[in-house]
Amino acid sequence: MTPPPAMSVADTMRRDPEPPDSQINADLLGVMYHKLSPGYLLLLGAAVLSVVAAGATWVYQVYIGLGIAGYTHPVFWGAYIITFVFWVGIAHAGTLISAILFLFRAKWRNSINRGAEAMTVFAVLTAAQFLGIHVGRMWKSYFILPYPNQRGLWVNFKSPLEWDTFAISTYATISIVFFFIGLIPDLAIARDRATGWRKLVYTALALGWQGTTRQWKSHSRSVLHLSGLATPLVLSVHSVVSWDFAMSIVPGWHATIFAPYFVAGAIFSGFSMVATFFIPLRRIYGLEAYITDYHFDNIAKFILLTGWIVTYGYASEYFIAWYSAVEPEQTSFWLRAFGPYWISTWTMLFCNCIAPQIFWFKWARTTPWILFTVATLVNIGMWFERYVIIITGLSREYNPAVWGIYTPTWAELTIFAGSFGFFSMLFLLFIKIFPVIAISEVKELAIHEKAHGGAH
Amino acid sequence: MPETSRRDFLKLATASAGAVAASGCYDHVEKLIPYVVQPEEITPGIPVVYASTCQECPVACGVHVKTREGRPIKVEGNPEHPINQGRLCARAQASVGRTYHPDRYQGPMRRGESGALEKVSWEDAIATIRDAIQAAPGRTHVLGGNTGDTLSALVDRIVSATGAGGRTIYEPFSNQTLREASRKVFGVASEPIFDVSGADLVIDFGSEMLESGISPVEHQRVWAAARDLAAHADGGARLVYIGPRLSLTASSSDEWLPAIPGSEGLVAAAIARVAIENGAGGGAHRGLLSGALASASVDAAATASGLEAEQITRLGKAVAHAKSAVALPPGVAVSSRRAIAATSAVLLLNDVAGSVGGAVRIPPADDAAHNRASYRDVLALGKAMDAGEVDVLLVHDSNPVYSLPKASGFQAALAKVKLVVSFASIADETSEQAHLVLPDHAPLESWGDAAPRNGIRGLVQPTLRPLYDTRALGDSLLDVARALGDTIASQLPSGSFRGLVEAAWAGAGLRRSLKKGGSFAASAQASVGAANAAGLELAAPKFTGSGDFTLVAFPHSMLGDGSGAALPILQEIPDPVTSIAWDSWAEVSLATAEKLDVETGDLLAIETSAGKIEVPAYIRGGIRDDVVAVPIGQGHTVGRFASKAGQGLPGTARGVNVGDALPGHVDESGAQAWLTEKATVTATGRHRRLPVAQPQDNKRERQLGEVITLAQFLEDEPAAAQAGHGEPAAAAHGGGHEAPAADAHGGGHDKPHEIREPYDPADDSANQQLEDEFLMEKAIKASEYRWGMTVDIDKCTGCSACIAACYVENNIPVIGEDESRRARQMAWIRIDRFPGEGDRKELIPGRALVGPNHEKLGDSDVRNAPMFCQQCGAAPCEPVCPVFATYHNEDGLNAMIYNRCIGTRYCANNCPYKVRRYNYFDNQITKWHTPMELGLNPDVTVRGQGVMEKCTFCIQRIQYARQESKNAGEERIEDGAVQTACQQTCPSGAITFGNLRDDESVVSKTADDPKRGYHALHVLNTRPSVTYLAKVVRGPVEG
Repeated sequence: MTPPPAMSVADTMRRDPEPPDSQINADLLGVMYHKLSPGYLLLLGAAVLSVVAAGATWVYQVYIGLGIAGYTHPVFWGAYIITFVFWVGIAHAGTLISAILFLFRAKWRNSINRGAEAMTVFAVLTAAQFLGIHVGRMWKSYFILPYPNQRGLWVNFKSPLEWDTFAISTYATISIVFFFIGLIPDLAIARDRATGWRKLVYTALALGWQGTTRQWKSHSRSVLHLSGLATPLVLSVHSVVSWDFAMSIVPGWHATIFAPYFVAGAIFSGFSMVATFFIPLRRIYGLEAYITDYHFDNIAKFILLTGWIVTYGYASEYFIAWYSAVEPEQTSFWLRAFGPYWISTWTMLFCNCIAPQIFWFKWARTTPWILFTVATLVNIGMWFERYVIIITGLSREYNPAVWGIYTPTWAELTIFAGSFGFFSMLFLLFIKIFPVIAISEVKELAIHEKAHGGAH
Repeated sequence: MPETSRRDFLKLATASAGAVAASGCYDHVEKLIPYVVQPEEITPGIPVVYASTCQECPVACGVHVKTREGRPIKVEGNPEHPINQGRLCARAQASVGRTYHPDRYQGPMRRGESGALEKVSWEDAIATIRDAIQAAPGRTHVLGGNTGDTLSALVDRIVSATGAGGRTIYEPFSNQTLREASRKVFGVASEPIFDVSGADLVIDFGSEMLESGISPVEHQRVWAAARDLAAHADGGARLVYIGPRLSLTASSSDEWLPAIPGSEGLVAAAIARVAIENGAGGGAHRGLLSGALASASVDAAATASGLEAEQITRLGKAVAHAKSAVALPPGVAVSSRRAIAATSAVLLLNDVAGSVGGAVRIPPADDAAHNRASYRDVLALGKAMDAGEVDVLLVHDSNPVYSLPKASGFQAALAKVKLVVSFASIADETSEQAHLVLPDHAPLESWGDAAPRNGIRGLVQPTLRPLYDTRALGDSLLDVARALGDTIASQLPSGSFRGLVEAAWAGAGLRRSLKKGGSFAASAQASVGAANAAGLELAAPKFTGSGDFTLVAFPHSMLGDGSGAALPILQEIPDPVTSIAWDSWAEVSLATAEKLDVETGDLLAIETSAGKIEVPAYIRGGIRDDVVAVPIGQGHTVGRFASKAGQGLPGTARGVNVGDALPGHVDESGAQAWLTEKATVTATGRHRRLPVAQPQDNKRERQLGEVITLAQFLEDEPAAAQAGHGEPAAAAHGGGHEAPAADAHGGGHDKPHEIREPYDPADDSANQQLEDEFLMEKAIKASEYRWGMTVDIDKCTGCSACIAACYVENNIPVIGEDESRRARQMAWIRIDRFPGEGDRKELIPGRALVGPNHEKLGDSDVRNAPMFCQQCGAAPCEPVCPVFATYHNEDGLNAMIYNRCIGTRYCANNCPYKVRRYNYFDNQITKWHTPMELGLNPDVTVRGQGVMEKCTFCIQRIQYARQESKNAGEERIEDGAVQTACQQTCPSGAITFGNLRDDESVVSKTADDPKRGYHALHVLNTRPSVTYLAKVVRGPVEG
């Protein structure tokens, strides 16, 4: 693969007088110490409120039963699984940026990787909850773990849901470890400047980081190795999630293209979510020096690229459905476009295939509001993609006598909204507790650029 | 961090262990309590079966009541009973629910000052009646429904001994018209017996012989026998249905003539005329042409009925040429005020066909209670009540407040009666108007008998001690009579009602009869004179009101006359034709719907001379454009299930009572005429979502309900079958695996595309690879059993008895109306219904909840495909379950471990047949209202919240039979020792069950049907254990 673009964050930084170390520290730690604005509190309050509402709904659902969701006879999976897949998808950008782009030495990633990694962790945590929300007997959901027991019970390793369990838990573990290791030097910086409770927290979390050469060496070695470990996971997690569908015989699910197409979709949605969160963040906290139009340009290019892969996936699905000459498959796809869920399908196609095409133009890629709008559309489109796959597939299966229509209920919508609340809540708290941009990496870049005169 | 002391550690460890243990205690503890003194006849775990008689309708089928540890849990047909021969309908299957009904009166009640019922002692209650009777001698009246012989005789004796005013017997659906027509035509006022078992042509003029007719279980059985393809190489009997809508019976017919309702008599007479002219009876009936049939003509009949003259002529010729033709008389739905004439014409047609005395037998007249029921009498009683001539009204086995049309004035007159006493067991509209309620026992707690037919007497014996402080009707009446004084008491038998029943059966041998279920002898035949129907007034019926539509009120196949509405299972099972549950509907044609611009669920206002009702529309092709049809049976305002009281809306009717739109005219015989109204139908602009269980009816050429033509069935061995299955015993079964699987599935067969090669259990070369993949591969291969089933959809009528049997056998919860709207019914077996017209690949855009209806007027090609777990050999559900809650057991079943299920529902998504059902709520808590849980089958786990469930071929019965066979020292379970609940009850015998690894088993032989056998959705290669036998389309009757 060709090396990443020549222009780096330091290039753009050099337009300003070179910011000293202390300036970087102040800028980046400043986000944490920024006065709690009413806007922030309002957002946090709304997020917490939606989490509380979703939690109460979930408790009620555990008590009364899954019947409060909109399931109907042929449609046994609904908004919970859709939202699960959605968040797993979101979780992809972080690791992609941190691990894969790290391995490819794409230096521009440095100022966004921390936030993206945090989003990964939060998205995985959000997604993982949906496994518990979705199953009918969450109090027995530990049955899915292969633990030794006297009853001689074991799990079915043939089941894609079993693979899923391992894929998600592995991914969550690696993401959290990766996130934490990267955070250590910055925590030490924060520790050195903090007082009060923060001092205690950072001291504990910094694990006695001194910034010695030996420590740096170990640190960069572990980041490298973890990147190596995390890279296949980026590809495998969503592949496994896609097999939840592809391994079945449901028309519209049973397709070999699912793994690559889901992975591309995950990266597509992940980058969109990064854009959705970083554009307001940059504006509010004045981080234009660190998150530049150059970043947005690259993010938009990724969205355009993965958008095309996803579009290819859609086209391939339709083509294969037609080419297979399997009537239930053909009917399922025809009804996908013109049947009960045509609005969802066309929404999906507009958001995921048409909207990103504006990124062929550089002005669109570097205009934050356009990027923000398109990214939001892509987020919507990707949620609908899963809705379309899951619901249209199930609602029009092999036996027409049991075709049915699914509509999400208040419970599913509350919990869906709560998942956004949970994710936003964690992110909002995160930016106030941890450096949202990797200070040490930005510095490293700056120093590196200074030493080498910045020319490539 | 401070050091943790050993003490602290132990404290913490204990506390956390306690917390974990406590959190595990979410289920309440249940204890097994052994008998202190074990009753001699009860062995825990072993059922005790009592022979008894069903009391759901006057047919009085024989039943075997299965009890476990003293509780009746299931009702099955009595194989020795001549009428039903071991089979039962859905209503009988559900009847066990009457015993455990939550709305049962638990003791005598009196209406207090506040208007609510309050508890009262039996003594006080009886004293109240005594005082009321004594205060007004001769002004007491007994009103009741059909009862057994002994009870009926007792009521007569009490009425005469006490000098009470009189007794009226009332059944909403009586046989009065039929008896009167029989008297007119044959001179004997009795109900003819129509035995179609030997017939080769059956014409049903709307009797609905397979659903709500004269004797549905018997007729389904004999009809299936009459066209059993194994016994009749020519396809057997043909059924022609004449009626305005594609009913269940019409759906099973070979030809449906959608005649204008009320024209049946004219059509029958015209057919009779053509038959005589074509030589029926060898000229013996020529006299009729100038007599009773003088006015009959094909053209007039064609005009009046809207049929083609050719169709009528063809039928007439068919009757003339048939070896044995049977015509069934018009039923409730088409009983006009001229019903006697129409029924007489049909009886005459039987005579012309030469069937009277053979297939149609006229028993001597008798005065069994059901033969005395009279609608005219109950109207007269209402008049008397209105005039203040009745002071005490005793109501038993009847719910006149519900079932009499409002226009009759009975309901208003009831308020003028000083003391209304109800003997209802379960609260109903009438008992809620009563001043006193002296609850009768539930049927399964009662003694009694029934005499449904000449020569056949059924005995009713109790199968459990009464659950509540109830008293048998006979005893309550005896108590009242005895309280009236010694002179009256001396005229009455001493002892209890039970003693009377025992005395009545002493002659037949009580013990023997208790064991057998009654005494069964051949029915005697009355000596019948020459058929003569002088003065047969053949004319189109009179209608009242104006409007473009004829209102057809037809019996609901589950709820009957409305008495079934209290039973939740009958409410929950979808109507076999429209698939609607828990509500009323108005059937209108596609053209009508277009004209009114309505879709299914839109409320229609139906206005007649008697009133206006609002009913949601159900749009279908299978109904005449000038007819609007509404089922009888819904519209109750009392009852947890019958009304909406159980949904928090007490007093709100469930659906509508079509009686509110009927003036309740009397026909010439004194029976109620149901077909009297012209109606205007308008759209109200409002909508109610109907619980439609099957919203789509086009099967899109998928392998679900398959048909072949008679010609295809009759042609010689198909070429492909000869290749693959020639010398079947030697090649395929002889261990030779050379019959290649690819060949069996390859195309190029000269047979209909849908029908695949039959499943051959002995040939496991095709299965080899699949089975190798199973964890239990060795056990599966080593097992002597692979349980399998065949379903003959040529015999299936869609009657849904199997569904009811499955509900009762497998503790399936009833989920109610709201959940049914979300299609969350728990039924393990359902009947998919596909009109042949919809068997094409069509693509319909949009978001309609109910797809377009594909029935076609005059087209009776409807395939009923019972669908339940296919126990696939390569089951898609099994590999996707992460916890092995569903797995393949060694006998080839897809077993379920409910305790292991965590509710991912992946199995249900991956099941192409969609036969897995999910417990969205804790049905154990929310759906079993006390004391319904007493009727649960202890052999079947009650599934909790969040668990997937499905059919496992009644595995509890397999295990029971396995144990029995072990105990008996047999090598293996004998063929036929296991009968699944659905198979056991199927009135037409469409289901066969047994071991596919046994070449001699019946199921192996029936499954090996190269012409008709197919696997549902075989293209998916799920290798089901269920083989369907395709329906054979026999085509229209030839003249």
